[in-house]
Amino acid sequence: MSLSYIIESIISGLLLGGIYALLSVGFGLTWGTMKVLNISHAVFAVLGAFLAYWFFVKAGIDPILSLPFLVVLLFLAGAVVYRLVIRSVTKAKDVIMASMVATFGVAIVIENVMSFFWRPDPRILKPPYTASSIFVGEMAISKGPLIGFCMAILAIALLYWFLHHTYTGKGVQATWQNPMGAALVGINPEHVSLITFGLSIASAGAAGVAMALIYAFYPSLQSVWTMFVFMVTIVGGVGSVIGTALAGLLIGFIIGVCAAFLPFVWVNVLLFALLLIILLFRPQGLFGS
Amino acid sequence: MEYETTRNEQETMKGKGENHRVKKLILFLLVLMGLFAFPVIKPPLFFLTLFFSVFMYIGLTESWNLLGGYTGYISLGHIAFFSTGAYTTAVFMNRLGVSPFATAILGGLFASVLAAFVGYPVLRLKGAYFTISSMLLSVVMQLIFMNWEFVGSSTGLWYKLLPVRIEVNRVIFYEVMLSLATVITLLVRWVERSKFGAGLIAIREDEDVAKTMGINTPWLKMRAFILGAFLAGVVGGVYGYYMSYVHPEVTFNINTSLLIMLMAFFGGCRTWTGPLLGAAVLSLANQLIVTFIGAEISRILYGLLLVIVIIFMPDGVIQYVRGMFTRQRIGAQL
Amino acid sequence: MLEGIGVSRRFGGLKALTNFDFLVEKGQIVGLIGPNGSGKTTLFNVITGFYPADSGKVLYRGKEITRRKPYEIAKLGIARTFQIVRPLLGLSVLDNVTTAVLYGRENIGSMAKGRGRALEVLKFVRLDAKKDVPAQSLVAAERKRLELARALAIKPEFLLLDETFSGLNDTEIADAVRLIFKIRDELGITIFLIEHVMKAVMGTCEKIFVLQYGVKLAEGKPEEVSKNPAVIEAYLGKKKHA
Repeated sequence: MSLSYIIESIISGLLLGGIYALLSVGFGLTWGTMKVLNISHAVFAVLGAFLAYWFFVKAGIDPILSLPFLVVLLFLAGAVVYRLVIRSVTKAKDVIMASMVATFGVAIVIENVMSFFWRPDPRILKPPYTASSIFVGEMAISKGPLIGFCMAILAIALLYWFLHHTYTGKGVQATWQNPMGAALVGINPEHVSLITFGLSIASAGAAGVAMALIYAFYPSLQSVWTMFVFMVTIVGGVGSVIGTALAGLLIGFIIGVCAAFLPFVWVNVLLFALLLIILLFRPQGLFGS
Repeated sequence: MEYETTRNEQETMKGKGENHRVKKLILFLLVLMGLFAFPVIKPPLFFLTLFFSVFMYIGLTESWNLLGGYTGYISLGHIAFFSTGAYTTAVFMNRLGVSPFATAILGGLFASVLAAFVGYPVLRLKGAYFTISSMLLSVVMQLIFMNWEFVGSSTGLWYKLLPVRIEVNRVIFYEVMLSLATVITLLVRWVERSKFGAGLIAIREDEDVAKTMGINTPWLKMRAFILGAFLAGVVGGVYGYYMSYVHPEVTFNINTSLLIMLMAFFGGCRTWTGPLLGAAVLSLANQLIVTFIGAEISRILYGLLLVIVIIFMPDGVIQYVRGMFTRQRIGAQL
Repeated sequence: MLEGIGVSRRFGGLKALTNFDFLVEKGQIVGLIGPNGSGKTTLFNVITGFYPADSGKVLYRGKEITRRKPYEIAKLGIARTFQIVRPLLGLSVLDNVTTAVLYGRENIGSMAKGRGRALEVLKFVRLDAKKDVPAQSLVAAERKRLELARALAIKPEFLLLDETFSGLNDTEIADAVRLIFKIRDELGITIFLIEHVMKAVMGTCEKIFVLQYGVKLAEGKPEEVSKNPAVIEAYLGKKKHA
């Protein structure tokens, strides 16, 4: 096994990790600000993947072009789910549990709606440029993952910029850190929650599009992606965008290293074990507070 | 505020209570006998299949509720134990041709061992983290089984049906699953009324306070987890035989997790009657919808129902409909 | 009976308890007072095993209990109440106490026997009339009695009371003081209590420890401690000299 093979594997892992990071950032956002454990987060990623797929296959629109539109669409979807489900759930005695169970229901509904209309067969998003690779020395880096990774980094950067450099974004952060204080200075918590949730779902959708460029997807894949969302969030801590991004890259790195030596399935088992260990000894995550 | 009842009144109240209980017992026995005797009238096979499914879900939901409703630890990993049982019987039948039903118990034992291993770290986690970890258990096991040669990986395992006519086959499984459901329900009811149950309920109400009462919380949780796993494993073992085919996407299906949880919440997860009613009503409806309309539609409806139940009726639909506050009674007289 | 030697506990940068020594002898009623945030409840949490001590040890009847789990400490005979009462809301009053009786030091197996004993405990705290009432519908003073009943139900020899008297009116305070003595005299239980209500402390305790910022400020008989200038300053602030 050559060194370049291992490095190739690691790079693939890192690219994937970046996308997992984007997938998880929104999840941490809702958990941190609203104490909502949105188990339906990943299903919207699958939805995003499907929508990008249909735009490409039926209308010939490249996913890079359709992405902004899809992001808006999914933001609206998030807003709808917020109004219908999330808002009521935040009033429960045990918000975390109630939101988890309720969003579990939402996830199953959306998964099966997709399955019903679009059938459970795997699809893959393959615009022509994903067929080739760029070469660094002896190593080949497939263009699909690379573009997906770039999308992810861009989206994370945008999210970060939004949270730290816009008025609304700062309002979100304020509510995160001190809900009562934020409300007292005139920040409307409902407003903030709606935007937060919408952004969260939108980012999930974007991540789904990025993922679709790499792997085949189908409705029931959402539960596997949910697993990765948990992993990244718990490793990175529910605290920050940067923490989640780093956690995603770390997990990607681990996946890359393991995939070079182990069958893929055992990589997942390893990650599960790692997650359990972290949960037991440092539930606030490696980077969280 | 003292209240006093005369000696006489107390006697009559006690007498009435006894009478009431005897009536309920007789009713219960009659229904049970009716169910056991049902196949005698040679009903269409469809009904036997339908009821098999109902009994199975009753067994699964009641066993889930030991940890879920009584202890307050919502597990989405119950199907992992169910599947362990199913795969145990499948492998034994497929590879060794061992006689049926005995291996179902073995399946339950394997499931218990799994529960013991997994429970040790996982039960230390609280609330949401526990649930997430339990879900991870199911997902990871599914992935492993999909890629594991020995259990047939993604093709699944086929094995021989019992060497009898299909009608007799269906009747045998009907009776077996009915017995299993009855035993499990009675067992869960017994736990609820026992000291063990009182301890679990205390943990649900306030785990820290439970500790100060001298309750060994890790050990009690582990017992509930292992017992629930064992029962689910046995149910899975019987199911495995019935289907004569196991596949990871079928046995580890996340939708089953949803259904089990929904049935418990729907019927009311605080007492033994809740899962029974919830499972009976919802699995019946589920089977009918799946058969006549489609699996996805059924799941969509159930997902919606779960959302509605959680938002509007946290104590369970049955209780909501009765309009009465469910006050838990340890060692309850039902 | 209960002794702490150099008990320390910190939370991150905050030193909740520093080198606290204390001794409560069998049959005593001892008080622990101090301004808010001085570490009193933290001490109780360390004693009952909810937090580990960072350094130092806690000894019960001469044996070290510092690293023990809460349920083990309960089984050894130390019971506690919580500052903000925590009844098991979903259960009736009787069931609350019965569960404690079953799992307490008597380790009873039979539900009926457990209920019988629970009823005795309820009679002792005069809550037996409400035995079938859901714990949720009790008023504050009754909830405190329930909390107490639950602690007594495990048949302890040592009782930690955390601010039992808060929020009670004068009559209720007098009743509670009587009950405390009853617990000590009739049940032979040693009592260590955290209190803010000075009337109650003066009326019950034969010895008081004073904590401030996690450090022992004073120790002694109530009359002595109440005259201690450092203690007065801790509560009322520095006296301004004109």
